[in-house]
Amino acid sequence: MADAATDLKPAVSGLSTTRIFQIILGIAVLLCLAKPFLPEFLIRIPEAWIPPLANWLDTFFDFLIEDLKLAKLTRWFAEGPLDFMLGLTANLLEGKHRWPFIGPVPWATVAAVAAVIGYYLGGWRMALLGGGTFVWTALVGQWKIAMQTLSVLAVAAPMAFTLGLLLGIAAWKWGWFDRAIKPILAILQTIPFFTYLLPAVIFFKVGPTAGAIATTIYAIPPMVLMTTLGLKRVSPEIIEAGKMCGSTRFQMLTRVYIPSARTEILVGVNQVIMLCLAMVVLTAFIGMPGLGGKLLAMMNSFKLGRSFEIGVTIVLIAVTLDRMSKAWVAKLPEHFERGTPWWVRHKYLVIAVAAFVFFLIVAQFIGILDTVGRKQSLSQGKEIDRAIKGFLNIGAVKATTGFIGDFLIVYVLIPFRNALLWIPTPAFILMVVAGTYWLGGKRPAIFAAIFFTVVAFSGWWDRSVITLYAVISAVILSMFIGIPLGIFAARSEKWANRILLVCDTAQTFPSFIYLLPAIMLFGVSDVTVVLSIVIFTTVPLTRYTIEGLRGVPGEMTEAADMSGSTRRQKLVSVQLPLALPTMAVGFNQAIMFAFFMVIIAAFIGTQDLGQELQRTLAGTDLGKNFVLGMNVSLMALTFDLTIMSWAEKRKKLLGLG
Amino acid sequence: MNDQSPVISCKNVWKLFGPNPKQYLSQMSAGRTFDEIRADGYIAGVHDVSIEVGRGEMLVIMGLSGSGKSTLVRCFSRLHEITGGTIEVEGQDVMALSEKELIDLRRSKMGMVFQSFGLLPHRTVLDNVAFPLEMRGQDKHDRRERALEVVKLVGLEGREEYFPRELSGGQQQRVGIARSLAIEPDIWFLDEPFSALDPLIRREMQDEFLRLQEMLGKTIVFITHDFDEALRLADRIAIMKDGAVEQCDTPDQIVLNPQTPYVRKFTEEIEKSRVVHARVLANPVNGASIEGEPVRAGHTILQLARQLVDDPREELPVADRHGKLIGIMNRQEALDVLLGKD
Amino acid sequence: MKTKILMSAAALALGTTTASFAEDSSDPIVIPIHNWSSQIVMSHVVGQILEEMGSNVEFVTTDSQAVYESVRLGDVTMELEVWEGAFGASFRAALEKGGLHDAGDHNAVTREDWWYPMWTKDACPGLPSWEALNDCAHLFATAETGDKGLFLDGPVDWLKHGKERAEALGINYVVKNAGSAAALWAHIGAAEADRTPVLVFNWTPNFAEAVWPGEFVEFPAWEDGCDSDPAVGPNPDALYDCGNPASGYLKKAAWDGMPDKWPDAYEVLTKISFTNPQIAEMAKLVDIDWMEPEEAAAEWLENNEAVWKGWLPEGSS
Repeated sequence: MADAATDLKPAVSGLSTTRIFQIILGIAVLLCLAKPFLPEFLIRIPEAWIPPLANWLDTFFDFLIEDLKLAKLTRWFAEGPLDFMLGLTANLLEGKHRWPFIGPVPWATVAAVAAVIGYYLGGWRMALLGGGTFVWTALVGQWKIAMQTLSVLAVAAPMAFTLGLLLGIAAWKWGWFDRAIKPILAILQTIPFFTYLLPAVIFFKVGPTAGAIATTIYAIPPMVLMTTLGLKRVSPEIIEAGKMCGSTRFQMLTRVYIPSARTEILVGVNQVIMLCLAMVVLTAFIGMPGLGGKLLAMMNSFKLGRSFEIGVTIVLIAVTLDRMSKAWVAKLPEHFERGTPWWVRHKYLVIAVAAFVFFLIVAQFIGILDTVGRKQSLSQGKEIDRAIKGFLNIGAVKATTGFIGDFLIVYVLIPFRNALLWIPTPAFILMVVAGTYWLGGKRPAIFAAIFFTVVAFSGWWDRSVITLYAVISAVILSMFIGIPLGIFAARSEKWANRILLVCDTAQTFPSFIYLLPAIMLFGVSDVTVVLSIVIFTTVPLTRYTIEGLRGVPGEMTEAADMSGSTRRQKLVSVQLPLALPTMAVGFNQAIMFAFFMVIIAAFIGTQDLGQELQRTLAGTDLGKNFVLGMNVSLMALTFDLTIMSWAEKRKKLLGLG
Repeated sequence: MNDQSPVISCKNVWKLFGPNPKQYLSQMSAGRTFDEIRADGYIAGVHDVSIEVGRGEMLVIMGLSGSGKSTLVRCFSRLHEITGGTIEVEGQDVMALSEKELIDLRRSKMGMVFQSFGLLPHRTVLDNVAFPLEMRGQDKHDRRERALEVVKLVGLEGREEYFPRELSGGQQQRVGIARSLAIEPDIWFLDEPFSALDPLIRREMQDEFLRLQEMLGKTIVFITHDFDEALRLADRIAIMKDGAVEQCDTPDQIVLNPQTPYVRKFTEEIEKSRVVHARVLANPVNGASIEGEPVRAGHTILQLARQLVDDPREELPVADRHGKLIGIMNRQEALDVLLGKD
Repeated sequence: MKTKILMSAAALALGTTTASFAEDSSDPIVIPIHNWSSQIVMSHVVGQILEEMGSNVEFVTTDSQAVYESVRLGDVTMELEVWEGAFGASFRAALEKGGLHDAGDHNAVTREDWWYPMWTKDACPGLPSWEALNDCAHLFATAETGDKGLFLDGPVDWLKHGKERAEALGINYVVKNAGSAAALWAHIGAAEADRTPVLVFNWTPNFAEAVWPGEFVEFPAWEDGCDSDPAVGPNPDALYDCGNPASGYLKKAAWDGMPDKWPDAYEVLTKISFTNPQIAEMAKLVDIDWMEPEEAAAEWLENNEAVWKGWLPEGSS
């Protein structure tokens, strides 16, 4: 660690990193010890000192809406072009009463086309996955709601793609734009979704329009980043070749840069799709139709079985789209001999169209291929419901979870939480600064100081600390699970793939669904909150541990083998140190996920920022809503900056570029 | 503009990399060395280079990596903006061209081949070759026809619909060559075109290249780090080090009269007799007696080795390929080249 | 100048005449759907009635609190279940801002209060009187609450003041807010198998009555001012020292623009009035009989023609 910071040394008048860390931490500890003698304002910021930030923001939003008539513009967009697009897809997919009044297409046609696309992209297995997903959706009687969801995503995803691409190009082209947009993207990625649900409703009208906008905003950041990355990575020779061919600037962009950045751009597309799907349930609060709304309704009438089925549908759709888009990234064009007729060149297009037409006609005669009625559907909701509730009520299960839950809550979580709340505000901030300085260096430490001071003056300190407590507890717990799991899985290709599949599933399975069983097992308590975050945060930890370990260059492990290391020695002294920077990325993602999930956990019942945010959904408290969102974002960004800076330094040190 | 005027002419060209190169150059004292400039925080990619390339000539720029050879050639086509000096191409000052004029110049007069080919991965062979034609807005039918022609010229017939990754390195470079020739450029830049290829393929491609050059007669600037390749292909060689040209001369002269210790190091390992031609050793007749069969001016000393050893004459007449006498060659001098002095 | 006035007068006259004899606009009437069954089915019932009349109806899934802002803006045309207790505050706030109005009450009373499933009474026979709560506190205790009992209140945004009441009445309970209605159900569901005593927030009409029979705790009866005047209620020094109103209203709300744009549909809306048993039946079709809301609505309409035919405007079939 000390050597990692050598480059910082000269910056601070001869004091070593360790010494500075000790000094800052020492002051913090002193403040804690002196707590009984401290004046009140050094323990918590007094109410009177807290600026009315929320009111200022409200004034600002009023200005935007009333004086600038910004809402008029956005409303025009929402009710004009956006509504038109949404109407179009909704009519085609689910038969909404909108132009062009020809939908809905029979489910069998969609399934058939999905199978053909799957075959084209990845052979029989993918065809089965693509076709199978839609057959399942139709057979369990969720066709209409699934199509409602997809009809919005079919507009939101391309919108996020286009905007992300344009912003990405702009950021690549102009350095100032890049510098300006980077922090905005960072905030967008960390701000809780509740914060932009409300503006989406106000500016874009409740319903699919607001749903589409909120989804788009959520999905844009990775597209921007991947586009910029891809364009920056185009090999200089290709650029020079393009210039030497006499391309104009525009020709360079459209025919040289963008096609050459294809891979990164498509990875961006994949991310857009996955993030869009992640929003399916959350946007149901503001009018997103379909699976999400249905899921919430099912949960609110305590139908675990049906919620589970909907969850399965969402996972299937997500996995299908994920695998297909990834296959598309890897898909390279194959050549045809000269003189190949067009129907051979476009074989798959022809088959897809043929399949579409075929099923369109057949469905006119065989009703069940058109729509699966409620009575015909194979939904097992009731039985699954019984099975889940039965399992949760088994004495042994209850006793075990009851024991774990009670232990955690009484001896671990509550004491930890009370300890954090006990620390005087300035000491808390100093501790955070010391930690960030130790890990990340000067820059993150300065940001940490500013960010946490802002949080302290926002008037929501205690709730912020409780939020942080849940996040930290969950991430620590999931380290105990995720890292050993990753180490185990990395030992063989077979297990790595299996565990990664579990990771994919856990990540796309709507977290709402396991909230209820979790409550049934652990009650409405912090254990439930922390454990449901753990399910989510273990995924990146496992994934990046596997990736990090498997990414260790073969020569190094071979060198270790030849030096006669045991498996354990090899792991501890060769593989783990080299994998650490990658694992840090996973750790960082775990923290970001935790901040995301802790807000959702408000649906269990918490006393943190998420609870207050949920409360703002009711009204028009835009200002308060933003202040709360900002607090979450600032805390998350502190972690993000620190860990990424640490990983960066570590990588340089190891010469991993 | 006549045939005698150089196609590319550069005078006192500087290319500095660093925070504020123009200003630095204008204030810099004359004769500052590469290392001194580096100490000031600048890198001299091109260090006061003056060089000319004649019509139909093949100039090979030779140097190790980092010597500035690629930078120099990119200055010719203004892929790099130079910091000081002038570069004229066909009498036009390239630095004075507007963006549009520059694009026109590249579209009509220049072709370039790259070390790692620089092919567009998403386009077929044919589409890659047709790319420069597409850029200048030629219609689809025309450009297809022209592209097919060039593809055939480089011997890739039947592979038109392949994608670059489906081809071997040698084949990919053929595509690169075809692309650079598609617009029938007058000036042809080749930036280490064969360096990424296996030795055997490299040799084959060099032969192929010589064949093409014989057929097309372009003005060529060829970059290499391989001295053998330079000797094999060049009309003239410019040897670069630290951004500056150490020596620019014909291969024979470079081998016979290396002017700096750096150049000499390269020539030391070289079998001079393979490089030096009889023409170069031919002295004026000056009334000396001429006896017997002349040797061909275009033959290397190595090719003449047996005759040189067996021939009893002290002075051998040298004739060009039409049989016209151009001078006499001292046998001992030639043997020195063949066997080495002392 | 004169012509201008004349013209505007004419326009005004024309406007009023068209309004009074106008047919409903063909723009879709937007009905919001929330996440509990009775509201969903009721929305579909009303939607199907309006469709029968030839209106174009669309449903939109929204949050049940945020919806009032949308009704106010006209993004959503009506709201069919305005609960006095749960949504009264949001409704009144929107009312003050303007843009929506009260479109009449249902013939139903709502009640929201502390509640327990029947099995709880076996362990604590003193119920439903609130005075029994202190003696039974140990029955509701968890590891986290220690010797105090646990009462699981509704989500904070429902503003139920459970904590204040526990303090005001001096009952030995920890009041925790569940994050959502679903969390309440999970809490009851977990207790069901072992018949563990639980005390949660609940309301009627609600599907839970059919799944888990239960009773409300009887607190000191609600008196006006209990939430604003400490003197009211048994504890002279505290607010909220009484139960919630045992018969809260259940209202309909409509966007101010609705009467002009869809006069016929608006007339129907004002007439619509469901009773507690009718609402319970709607919920039952979905929650107990596992029907889809649309089917449940159709079924209900078929079984109750007598109820709703009368709401239709004269002349329509």
